[in-house]
Amino acid sequence: MKLLEYEAKKILAGSGIPTPASFIVSPKTKPEFLPCVVKSQVPTGGRGKAGGIAIVQSPAEFAASSNKISELPIKGFLPKTLLAEELLLIKRELYLSLLIDKTAAQIVLMAHTNGGVEVEENRADEFLQLPLSGFDADTVGEQLAEYYDLPDTSFVLQDIVENLYTCFINNDATLLEINPLVLTTDGKLIAGDCKMELDDAAAFRHTDWNFEEKSAEVNFVTLNELGTVATIANGAGLAMATVDAVADAGMVPANFLDIGGGANEASVLAAFERIMRYPNVNVIIVNIFAGITRCDEVARAIIGAKKQIPHLPPLFIRLAGTNFEQAATLLSAEAIPTLGALDECIAAAKESQS
Amino acid sequence: MTEDLLSAKNVIVQGITGAHGAFHASAMKASGTNVVAGTSPSKIGDTIDGIPVYGSIKDIQAAHAVDISVVFVPARFAKGALIEAITAEVPLIVCITEGIPLHDMLAVTKALKEKGRSQLIGPNCPGILLPGGNKLGIIPAHLSLAGSVGVVSRSGTLTYEAMDGLTRRGIGQKYIIGIGGDRIAGTSFIDCLRLFENDPDVDKIVMIGEIGGTGELDAAKYIKQHVTKPVYAYVTGHHAPAGVQLGHAGAILGSADESAAAKTEYLAENGVHTATSITHLIHMI
Repeated sequence: MKLLEYEAKKILAGSGIPTPASFIVSPKTKPEFLPCVVKSQVPTGGRGKAGGIAIVQSPAEFAASSNKISELPIKGFLPKTLLAEELLLIKRELYLSLLIDKTAAQIVLMAHTNGGVEVEENRADEFLQLPLSGFDADTVGEQLAEYYDLPDTSFVLQDIVENLYTCFINNDATLLEINPLVLTTDGKLIAGDCKMELDDAAAFRHTDWNFEEKSAEVNFVTLNELGTVATIANGAGLAMATVDAVADAGMVPANFLDIGGGANEASVLAAFERIMRYPNVNVIIVNIFAGITRCDEVARAIIGAKKQIPHLPPLFIRLAGTNFEQAATLLSAEAIPTLGALDECIAAAKESQS
Repeated sequence: MTEDLLSAKNVIVQGITGAHGAFHASAMKASGTNVVAGTSPSKIGDTIDGIPVYGSIKDIQAAHAVDISVVFVPARFAKGALIEAITAEVPLIVCITEGIPLHDMLAVTKALKEKGRSQLIGPNCPGILLPGGNKLGIIPAHLSLAGSVGVVSRSGTLTYEAMDGLTRRGIGQKYIIGIGGDRIAGTSFIDCLRLFENDPDVDKIVMIGEIGGTGELDAAKYIKQHVTKPVYAYVTGHHAPAGVQLGHAGAILGSADESAAAKTEYLAENGVHTATSITHLIHMI
């Protein structure tokens, strides 16, 4: 789950990381302070270039810029919230992040002396990378101060590292990126912008989580709005493989869908309804290989969909694995045919389209 | 990882009284696996399909040797269950549970390294099937055929697809191992490739990868240097939008191209027979 800047900064500030003074812009209120920077809160980068960030000096400018930014879509995202912050007097822009190195199964600190919007121009091997397992925040703070060539900030960086790590752990973060970490002209280090990603799997122990952007939908992805073959499968691997097989046979897959292990009649029915919105779909391939899923539950869902959705395109169904026999009995009672393997479904779908 | 580790006799199921645990403990037993006991702290003294339920692994160990634990404990309690098995020095731990928080897996990995007595397979995996022998997890055993192919896969259902396809063509398997799709996993492709290379009964290797991560690329390097047997690979997700879930800093760290096409090309460069679909893969072998 990706947080918006103002949500991430609220967590940062609560963890003792210096953030700019700020307020949330609401339509009728006056600015709490001026000058300030009005920032569009959208879940994408490149806001500055797109016109989503404005420095304002007067109440009139504040009102005009706020109105303009609130109506400006950036890469398809319209902001629901605008953040206003104090104007930082920037001496340097640094980069600092914590993330999980999945290969080594440890938390890693990454830093670069060249932060800001151009950070992606830096080569991957130029970043300072420090694994944070069994680490000592004081030592890491000193290393950072030396790396950034900011010897006077050693104590400040020690605090930042310690608080950042605690913040990362306490919030089940998978990415916590401060970019830029601003060095102001009066020598303070402040988080200029922040990207934070939290682990959806840990939501059960964070009942207070309530953010604008809900978890990205990963189980249903449109590949081609104009595709002709819709796919329903279980397990991400099999769902991807079903899409690959459709494309390999020269047909155009519309979507990727993993119904997951907990599929029930309602969720599969909802999937069929979404597929019906694709204008050109004339074939649906259902490819279920049940391990933890049970085929009979999927069969009931298919029967329900056939009854409830008018003009359902031809279905080519392959069910295998756990409770296949019960599923076959249920489907044959409704005269719904099934096929034995994915390649048979692909061949039948191809034939139906020709 | 050795054949003895996977074919050991005394198997327990952690989380045996849950819906999945009970269903699959029974299926494991039905396919001939020696499930000696299960754990469930709230149902001590019950039986599941004749399998006795204990409160902890320690309690089981007072009565039985424990060689293998298959874990079905729900995600929010899985860290505790895995660390219990690691602490009890269970040699092989197979974790079927999906959705374990990453931070919990950091703690589990740390415990594994510190204790150094257990091999973890998974989490978020279908487990292991030795056709004609142990079924450690949820892989449907009736679709397998005993033989000489070693199959290793990151995907659950795609593992079944490959196994079923091989069986239909009369090609038997010696090992079916699902290593799981999570970002932090106990067992890598390389661990399984080493097992297959060292087992004289295995004559062909099937490897199924996915987009994201670098496990397939590491495997390709390993294959070129250490594997003499033919390896057939399919990386799924050729038509998936690449890199959707990778964060900014993560993308910098994982600078290599993690797409299916790039992995397939790299595997081919390192002497692997590569396929562009699962059907294609099965017909290559």
